[in-house]
Amino acid sequence: MNHFCREASQLQSDGLDRELTLMERIRLRMHLLICGACRNYAENLELLNNLFHGLRKQTEEDESITLPSSDKERIKEALKKASES
Amino acid sequence: MNKKAGNPEHWLTDHGDYLYRYAMSRLRNEEQASDMVQETLLAAWRGWDRFSGNSTVRTWLVGIMKHKITDLVRKEIRNRKLAEAVESDPTSSMFNADGSWVEAPRSWKENPEELCESEQFQQVLEGCIGKLPEKQQTVFRMRELTGEESETICKAAEITSTHLHVLIHRARLALRTCLEFNWFGGKRQT
Repeated sequence: MNHFCREASQLQSDGLDRELTLMERIRLRMHLLICGACRNYAENLELLNNLFHGLRKQTEEDESITLPSSDKERIKEALKKASES
Repeated sequence: MNKKAGNPEHWLTDHGDYLYRYAMSRLRNEEQASDMVQETLLAAWRGWDRFSGNSTVRTWLVGIMKHKITDLVRKEIRNRKLAEAVESDPTSSMFNADGSWVEAPRSWKENPEELCESEQFQQVLEGCIGKLPEKQQTVFRMRELTGEESETICKAAEITSTHLHVLIHRARLALRTCLEFNWFGGKRQT
């Protein structure tokens, strides 16, 4: 018997980055109905997706991360120079 | 927004930390992030007359920064001249000849929010990403850490969208396996 898992894993990944065709969606859904391993893979991918989204947001909102004051001074100098020239 | 408010030193005071965090969330490198703040503010100063006032200064600055970050990543990719050759294909070792999983993925019963908080997990994650082949790693980082659009990544890495999808798919497979092994307890000795 030939399994669809290999193709399904590619489709699942693609589905996060592009719109799948109708045929691809149907094939993938049919396969997920009968394959627990691929359902787990789908769940793993979703967790990773949420995780990366969360990590980006977390750093963006973490107010303890600040521009080091030495860098701030350096940038201030650069801006002063640019505005004078 | 008052057009007269074009004072780069005020931008630095008011938005410097925010821009730095934004760059850090994408680049995860202190030196690069602070360079990006400087370049963004300088570009904003030069382009101040193009600021329409329809958005806030902060939104406008972030827009400039996005371009700067993309340029930076593109330059890095160029400099490293990533090999065009086909990189290792994890799908060959992860699937049997009949297309079934060699080792079936297991359910991960962890909460992404809690994982985000765990420094230990982040170290494992960074370690796993660091083990990906170079090209996979670069496009994967752009996709998932930088949150870049596919089109932008393809342009930066000079690859087709089909090639991008294959690389990202391979990276996800390898990352999943690495995390299962090192974190989610696939074969972890505890």
